Amino acid sequence: MHYPWWYVPVITSPMLIAAIAVLHVLVAHYAVGGGFFLALETTYAYRTNDREYLAYLRKHAQFFILLTVVFGAITGVGIWWTIGLASPLATELLIRTFVFGWATEWVFFVLEITAAFVFFYYWGRLQPRTHIAMGWIYAWAAWISLVLITGITAFMLHPGDWLQKRTFWAGFFNPQFIPQMLARTGGAFLLSSLYVYLHASITCTSERLTNLVEQRSTRPALLGAVLILVGGAGWYINLPDSAVEAMFSASALNVFVGLIFVATGLVFVLLYLGPFRNPGWIRSPGFAVALLALGMIGFGTSEFIREAVRKPYVVYNVVFGNQVYAEQSELQRLRDGGYLEGGVWTRQYVRHNFPQVVVGAMQQEGGSSGGHIDRQRLLELPPEDRVKLGGVLFQYHCNDCHAIARGGYSAAGPLIQGWSRAMVRDLIDNLHTARFVMPPWCGTPEEAELLADYLMSIAPPRPAGMEPAPTMQPAQRQADYRQLSGEAQLCGEAQSGAAQ
Amino acid sequence: MDPGQLIETNLPPIPAPIWFVQLFKVLGFTLHAVPMNLWYAGILIALVLYVRGGEHGQTFGRRLMTQMPIILAYGINLGIVPLLFVQVAYAQPFYSATILMAWHWLMIIALLIPAYYGVYLYSFGLRSDGPGLTAFRRAAGWVAAVLLVVIGWLFVNGMSLMVNPHAWPELWKRADFYGATLGTGSNIADATLWPRWLLMLGLAIGTTAVWLLFDAAWFASAESDQYRSWSLTLSWKLYTASMVWFAVAGTLYVITGWQSFKQMFGFPTVLLTLLTALAPGLPWLLLFRQVRAGQFPSRGVAALIALAQLGVLGVNAISRQVLQNIELKPHFDVLARQTATQYGPLAMFLIAFLLGAGVMTWMIWQIVRPGQPAAES
Ligand code: HEC
Ligand code: HEM
Repeated sequence: MHYPWWYVPVITSPMLIAAIAVLHVLVAHYAVGGGFFLALETTYAYRTNDREYLAYLRKHAQFFILLTVVFGAITGVGIWWTIGLASPLATELLIRTFVFGWATEWVFFVLEITAAFVFFYYWGRLQPRTHIAMGWIYAWAAWISLVLITGITAFMLHPGDWLQKRTFWAGFFNPQFIPQMLARTGGAFLLSSLYVYLHASITCTSERLTNLVEQRSTRPALLGAVLILVGGAGWYINLPDSAVEAMFSASALNVFVGLIFVATGLVFVLLYLGPFRNPGWIRSPGFAVALLALGMIGFGTSEFIREAVRKPYVVYNVVFGNQVYAEQSELQRLRDGGYLEGGVWTRQYVRHNFPQVVVGAMQQEGGSSGGHIDRQRLLELPPEDRVKLGGVLFQYHCNDCHAIARGGYSAAGPLIQGWSRAMVRDLIDNLHTARFVMPPWCGTPEEAELLADYLMSIAPPRPAGMEPAPTMQPAQRQADYRQLSGEAQLCGEAQSGAAQ
Repeated sequence: MDPGQLIETNLPPIPAPIWFVQLFKVLGFTLHAVPMNLWYAGILIALVLYVRGGEHGQTFGRRLMTQMPIILAYGINLGIVPLLFVQVAYAQPFYSATILMAWHWLMIIALLIPAYYGVYLYSFGLRSDGPGLTAFRRAAGWVAAVLLVVIGWLFVNGMSLMVNPHAWPELWKRADFYGATLGTGSNIADATLWPRWLLMLGLAIGTTAVWLLFDAAWFASAESDQYRSWSLTLSWKLYTASMVWFAVAGTLYVITGWQSFKQMFGFPTVLLTLLTALAPGLPWLLLFRQVRAGQFPSRGVAALIALAQLGVLGVNAISRQVLQNIELKPHFDVLARQTATQYGPLAMFLIAFLLGAGVMTWMIWQIVRPGQPAAES
């Protein structure tokens, strides 16, 4: 409500968050698990005085740094960039609540970078003990940063006691924290083993080495898989009901959940078939690529689901997707005063572009101030202006989840293809009861009229030639429309009458 | 349209006192500025010198560019600090402005990834055990240099749009889609944009000049004495040029932004303004002293010069902060924001910070203590 809305055609702006977040997690988990891999394995290689393995680990460390310090770190900052752009109110709330969590995480980032650079650039120039210590400092610092960010992302799914206590700690130690931490830690181990297989299959020349890498990395992968299962179960048990239902009611998410199971299942099967039963397989990059790709699909979709099941909220029970606080008082304010009037930018938009609907404004140099948007006058606007303002309502109330036209992400037009205006109007009034993944309607009945006008203007007609034809003909719809808007007018009059 | 009405002013309290937020914002930005300056102007200078600077120029180009991946990593990391704190207290103008220029703002991320890999390509090309500086790697270096200058421009664009709400209505109108914005705006119509951009570039040249000398004094024990005396001369010349540049860009900045700058010239703020304008004189004088004596500075003096340049950047950061508050004040009075300090989490951060500093010190000690050879290049 406080910020301008960023319209991104076809995919909607919040989808950019999901896209960057998915890219980021694929590397960020490796940044944690790979740290443990490097620390553990250099320890082992020094202990067994295995020169060949050390040389391999050095190569791996270079690959690791190039991927995590550059791509991993910048996409991480990129998530911040996109959440501020596409979900500003929720971001503002998260930063206000957890700034010191992030600041602490930053301290560990500094340790990570330093340890990683010393570990890699001073390879062979440090005492083995010191070198190994650098590896472990990196690994633990990376893990702590994972723990810190998990508290915050888990909060978004289930704020727990924070709703009553409103303290940092109540928010951080939420019911989803431990499960997600376990699952992410497991994910870090599993995914990094898959990266290691692939890297080794391409760069290792000796058979002994490949076998060694494989043998040493399979156990962390399986440990990771177990942690994912345990954490995942905890995640599921502690999901708010709405998230469970959202997962199974939205068809796309169903497909995704299926995909996770299939991908994860295949990873397990391949782990068994490959490293366990046919150790030689891993030497073929094709096999390793398939394994990593499946792992990434499983991971990417989990991340996507994590973003999606929170609907209608960005932060469960705290902020709705349409950047409105999920509080009764806020809802009431908007329903009484109007959605357009209630939003900082929409209010100015109307004042500037449709001054005729504002009453009581004081004319000033450079525009007007004060006054309020008159509900009745909204309905008196000519049809094209009603559609225009309905479009504004759509942008600020719906576009975070719905694109407009066919081909767009969950596009609203096709969703109401062939609907009568009465049905559309009804849906708006019952937004959150029709689909619990939607926020409640936050505007006045008059605004609902304008939005209905707009929605009708973007809905494709019912495909021609389908028999039997719908009972409600377009002409009838039109009548329906007039009647409804007439009723709304009456209703508005009655209210303004009561107010006088 | 009164742009002030586009900023919500009925705001919840912030979780730390405003002085604390500003302290970390300014401190973070100062520390961000040091490495940022080195890639902003430094990469271009290093690349030019590598090609045109003779033997010593090549040495410097090689030195700076092998250090650059590390400089980038820390610089970006240090940028997170002001980014976090600007969002704590200035969320309303910051998000509104960046949303209006959303695609440009997001471009920073999209350009930074190739720029960063470009730097790595060039840098690995210089390694003694590496593949050599092939044409491709050379090109990657130039592309990175240009991308980073563009990114700097995008930052200036965002930070100046944030304090210029008067530009918002027009940008909003031009990219209006049913009251939403297409996010294609840019603060290009703001007269302060270019001087502001040039100002930072001028500072960046100065910081690069000082780094040239500091690096020669502290880390270049393997290089020749001729290299060191060359570096002193060039450092001084570059710094002189940067000071002229700074003075010109600064004057233009003051003129174009006079509306707000007026208040920077009232008492006592004028003292800060004067200090900011004159600050580069100190490193310059220290450099000049060495040049006149024809003597390469000791490590101590080189450190002093570097400290003086850090001071220049610090004073600049403070002035920027004061000016930012002045510019926003008519619409958004940040100093009047209420606070509800989160003492526990704040303490957690400070403790982590101290422990982290301890671990950092230990790690750095491991590589600088006597008997430890330099990082491979
Ligand atoms: C927080 C996200 C969110 C917001 C905001 C939102 N919706 Fe939805 N809406 C959904 C989801 C998810 C579905 C289910 C889509 C599906 O099944 O493909 C849905 C379904 C719909 C449907 C189809 C309903 C049906 O019965 O088939 C319509 C129409 C619709 N939304 C319109 C709107 C309008 C109009 C607004 C704005 C007033 C809006 N939505 C706001 C998430 C949202
Ligand atoms: C992605 C990592 C980065 C982050 C998080 C970051 C963060 C920031 C922040 C928050 C500021 C404003 C500070 C303030 O006013 O308090 C800033 C300023 C600046 N940054 Fe960075 N930065 C990053 C990378 C870069 C890069 C790659 C460049 C390229 C040159 C750059 C150049 C600048 C410039 C020129 C300014 C000054 C802008 C002005 O106010 O005129 N930054 N940075």
